Amino acid sequence: MKKYIKSVVALTAICAVVAILLAAANSITKPIIDKNEAAAANEALLVVMPNGGDFTTVDLSAYELPASVNEVYAASNGGHVMKLTVNGFNPGMVIMCGVGADGTVTGATCLSSGETLGHEKVYGDKTVGATVDTVDSIDTVAGATKTTAAYKSAVKDALNAAIILGGGSVELRTEAEILADNLAAALPAADGFTSVFMIDTIEGVDSVYSANNGTGYVVCVGDSFVATDANGKVISEGASTEEKAAATSAVATLLSWELTAIDLSTYADMPSAITAAYSTSSGNYVFDVKASGYGISGDKYTASGEYIYIKVSVTADGKIITCETVSQKESDGFGSACADASFYTQFNGKTAETYKDIDAIAGATITTNGYTTAISRVFEAVNILKGEA
Amino acid sequence: MKKQSNWSILFKGILLENPVFVLILGTCPTLATSTSVIGALGMGLAAAAVLICSNVIISLLRKVIPDEVRIPCYIVVIAGFVTLVEMFMHAFLPDMYDMLGVYLALITVNCIILGRAEMFAGKNTVGKSALDGIGMGIGFTLALLAMATIREVLGSGTFAGIPVPFLYDNPISVMKEAPGGMMVYGILIAVVNKLTNGKLIKKKSFGCEGCPSAGICSKGTCENTAKEEG
Amino acid sequence: MDFQKFVIILMSSVLVNNYVLRQFLGICPFLGVSKKLNQATGMGISVTLVMLMATAATWPIYTYVLVRFELEYMRTIVFILIIAALVQFTEIVLKKFIPALHKSLGVYLPLITTNCAVLGVTINNINDGYNFVESMVSSLGCGLGFLLAMVLFCGIRSYIDDKVIPESLRGLPVTLIAASFVSLAFFGFNGIVG
Repeated sequence: MKKYIKSVVALTAICAVVAILLAAANSITKPIIDKNEAAAANEALLVVMPNGGDFTTVDLSAYELPASVNEVYAASNGGHVMKLTVNGFNPGMVIMCGVGADGTVTGATCLSSGETLGHEKVYGDKTVGATVDTVDSIDTVAGATKTTAAYKSAVKDALNAAIILGGGSVELRTEAEILADNLAAALPAADGFTSVFMIDTIEGVDSVYSANNGTGYVVCVGDSFVATDANGKVISEGASTEEKAAATSAVATLLSWELTAIDLSTYADMPSAITAAYSTSSGNYVFDVKASGYGISGDKYTASGEYIYIKVSVTADGKIITCETVSQKESDGFGSACADASFYTQFNGKTAETYKDIDAIAGATITTNGYTTAISRVFEAVNILKGEA
Repeated sequence: MKKQSNWSILFKGILLENPVFVLILGTCPTLATSTSVIGALGMGLAAAAVLICSNVIISLLRKVIPDEVRIPCYIVVIAGFVTLVEMFMHAFLPDMYDMLGVYLALITVNCIILGRAEMFAGKNTVGKSALDGIGMGIGFTLALLAMATIREVLGSGTFAGIPVPFLYDNPISVMKEAPGGMMVYGILIAVVNKLTNGKLIKKKSFGCEGCPSAGICSKGTCENTAKEEG
Repeated sequence: MDFQKFVIILMSSVLVNNYVLRQFLGICPFLGVSKKLNQATGMGISVTLVMLMATAATWPIYTYVLVRFELEYMRTIVFILIIAALVQFTEIVLKKFIPALHKSLGVYLPLITTNCAVLGVTINNINDGYNFVESMVSSLGCGLGFLLAMVLFCGIRSYIDDKVIPESLRGLPVTLIAASFVSLAFFGFNGIVG
């Protein structure tokens, strides 16, 4: 028993002495280590903002910033360095981005490993000097599609965050989200909306959305959203008399639309891109078109092997009424932008002479070219159907 | 244990009982940190510092520590010094601290240190234990440096960061990696064997005395292990 | 995807970052014990079990005690003491309640206290910022990787021992050189994860 006690006492005593010594040593070295680490952290931030000076951490609770922003450091030169988490080639890619006091990017770099080596550096350098207005037009790095997309979204969020931190305000919702919010506000009974494909122009009306559950329509008249029930009776009370009239007539018009299928086999010269054609009661045409984008022509490791399917309505004299992408399997984050309304609505109102005057999708030349070629086939098809080819 | 002069205690660690090439102790850090001369030097000196201090303290306490708990006591003392070295290195040599990484903390379980505590410091006077620690520490550092020189010159084409002509443009990068380390280590042991005509390898006691775990293991296995190693 | 992450941790610790063959942790027993298959397996299983227990004990203690009281610097001491105590405790329990298992595994347990792979895995789990479950998965992976290396190498050693080898290379040198080739072979697993 005595032996036991002696053992325990000896071991405990040694542990205690060692612990005290270590605590003493820790009190000497800890401040130095902390200072070194702070200096190292400061240095790391200088990578993306060489003139940043000293950095202080910003308390984010006071701001509503883009969700990807994790940490913000204010530089003594008035700029900000941010750490953002976005999804690149691997999920959870951490990007550090510096935004100067003048709202331009001073540098960006990837902090997390896992991205294909080398590309991130190239992209980080490309973003230098970008502003909110120019960030979308930065060139893509070939072969690093997803990394590039991640950088772009991170840099964009950083630029927006810098504006908010500087006291400005930024619309953080995307256009699609704003539209969805407006539609839902106009017709609360609906459970989601589908854009009505316009086969004819309706005076004073930009577009019409139908409720997925059949409760009615929302007609966009100018800047207003006017809701009607399924039969075209206006529900929105705030709308002006003119808006109500326009909405009612618009719904009545689209309810009266009729499509007659055209047998394409009777037209020997019909371009193969046209998969179906219809004539409308008002003398317009509607075409189903397939376009060869990156999905068909791209390299076999990344391409999906799928066409881009497009629906186009066009007047008999060759003016596009509505153009809409039905489905696509282009590269995510690049060619896939051909499914965005901001891209395909550019063709609305275009003719055989003007259809090439559109903004290409950044970083997706092949998709854009394939798309415009398919549109040119529509004009040929109209001529063939009219017997003028 | 026969009487040894102070000089022989000091020098045996450097060659005759070199912990790395003859006693085959501390293989793990030897292989892991010998990719660069600078790293090897840091590791060697850190381990030597721990070894000397722990040898002195353990020798001082050898009459106080009860036999039953001596291994845990040794471990606490060693771990304490390792943590001290870690702290000071983190504070004053942060680059070196990052380079050595987890292997720094693993000095705690380095067979050399526990082995010397068990084999020597627990039985000898403070002065002799200190000399033993210095000798073994130098021996360990020199062995690491030898390995690191070969691996860095061939593997990176540099010596302590200074480019070596020709090799710098044609590095054999596998030498920096695990296989190169084992290969160089094996060949160096063979060379030491050859140079000494195998005398050293026979001279060293591969019985339980040479095994760092001797104090806590059942004798049977240990002898078994020892035979295989021999 | 949590499951995906676990598989990645597991594969990387068993194959890509194999403790013995790529990081040299636990190389002493690897060179010492790995001649007989049953010894190699026994050692490997014991190490895996101790690694799991050690992680189960050290992770919560580090996270909830040491970090909380700002005693991170006591990590090495606390971890090694926990491991030593765990090993002793396991041996006593095995001896008393499962003598058969103690007979087959017990002899390896004392050697494990000073096995740097065990201390290594507990420290690495903390350094890598793994949560508890991830730490356990990584420990399992490291243990299995150790077992794999031991068993693989055991076959190679019994093959080497039958051969005529120059005197100076006999024993450890040739073992190390053989290990270097096995390690080289493990380079083939590079890129298998992520």
